[in-house]
Amino acid sequence: MIQLILFSLIGALLVFALFFAMRRGPRTEGSSKALVGARQALNSLQAGLLPPELVERIFAPEDYEYVVSQAPKDVRDLFCAERKKVAIMWVDQVRQQIRSLMRFHLGSARFHAGLSFQTEIGLAVDFGGLLIACRALQVLLYLRGAYSAPRMVGATAAAAARVCRISEESLAFLNAASIGGLGDRSAGAAHLL
Amino acid sequence: MPSSIIWWAGILLEAVILFQGLRSRSVRRYPFFYIYSACVLLVAVSTYVVYSSNLSAYPIWYWSAQLISLIAGYGILLEIFKHVLSPYPGAEKAARVAGIVVFGAIFCFALIYPLIKSQSSPGVTMVEFERDLRTVQAIFVSGLLVVIAYYGIEIGKNMKGIIFGYGLYIVTSLVSLAVRAYAGPSFTEVWRIIQPLSFDVSLVIWMTALWSYHPAPIPESRVRLEAEYEALAAKTRGAMGGMRSELARVARP
Repeated sequence: MIQLILFSLIGALLVFALFFAMRRGPRTEGSSKALVGARQALNSLQAGLLPPELVERIFAPEDYEYVVSQAPKDVRDLFCAERKKVAIMWVDQVRQQIRSLMRFHLGSARFHAGLSFQTEIGLAVDFGGLLIACRALQVLLYLRGAYSAPRMVGATAAAAARVCRISEESLAFLNAASIGGLGDRSAGAAHLL
Repeated sequence: MPSSIIWWAGILLEAVILFQGLRSRSVRRYPFFYIYSACVLLVAVSTYVVYSSNLSAYPIWYWSAQLISLIAGYGILLEIFKHVLSPYPGAEKAARVAGIVVFGAIFCFALIYPLIKSQSSPGVTMVEFERDLRTVQAIFVSGLLVVIAYYGIEIGKNMKGIIFGYGLYIVTSLVSLAVRAYAGPSFTEVWRIIQPLSFDVSLVIWMTALWSYHPAPIPESRVRLEAEYEALAAKTRGAMGGMRSELARVARP
């Protein structure tokens, strides 16, 4: 019986592998278009979605203290629920940055004949770990709320800034080489950078 | 009677695939696949002849023929390397190394397994032998597909059909052989229908996918990196270390 289960599991593994390999859409990372896309996404995050002052405002304990002291229970509950949603959305943005970095790395690494299998396995584990950590953080925020840990506020703001800076660095080291190497089609794209 | 219909349908589909492959000149583009197809057609026809003329020789012939077609099936893995992975040297290397690691692990297991098995059960039957070979094939194909999915490699219509059809056949073969080995001769009648029927389904998939030639998608012009792979990996690793420490700080109450 154990053998039957084992072979069925191997069969199931192949079914899953087939499903994921077949449904995967084309990935453009590694191309000039992807470089510009990643850069534009980062710019919009830094300028519009995740400036430190905005993050500080979202997690500001003063707002919570004010609402708690002035508003009735219904309003207080609504406020906490809305802030929790915003906090969870912020972690989702961090997650997307990690995914973007991962996609960018894979999109570039797949062309390198000098790729190190050991390094790739290590990175795959790290990426997986980080993505799981983000999910865990989202669960934590969902269960305990945005104001459950006051020290989270400063760290959250720092993390937001840090994530954007890291993403910027990971894109910047490609810029110098890519602008010179890309063809006519990429000339406009390089200009955008 | 139903098994005869399935058998003849398989032979007919094989012939159509080969004819269409010659007509559309896909034979030149996917030589290993068509060698496999020709091999399977010969095996199917010869097995039918043996079954009709000399029933006593059929079991030995059947298992020999199965082994030949199973080995020829590895040609499909070569097609995957040639048409899907070769434009991506990094991913190709990862698949190659993963293949060697898997082979090493299976080889070690094959050395140890008989020592463990001899204590608990008698010799290996042909059903178990084919099941074990299909398992090796399933692990190899899964490994290749994991690399393809992980690196987000786009597969052309022809190769998609070849891989999907073959993968489906391996899965049904593996599971039906495992059930047969577990349930014993009582499952033989069902297995005689399931095995060729699943192959006919794969043949229909191949026929549809290979009816006309669709070139494999060419990757977009790659960004020429100033830094080498080591620099890219180190940069990514460094960035992730920073992210991890920040996330740890955030998670701390």
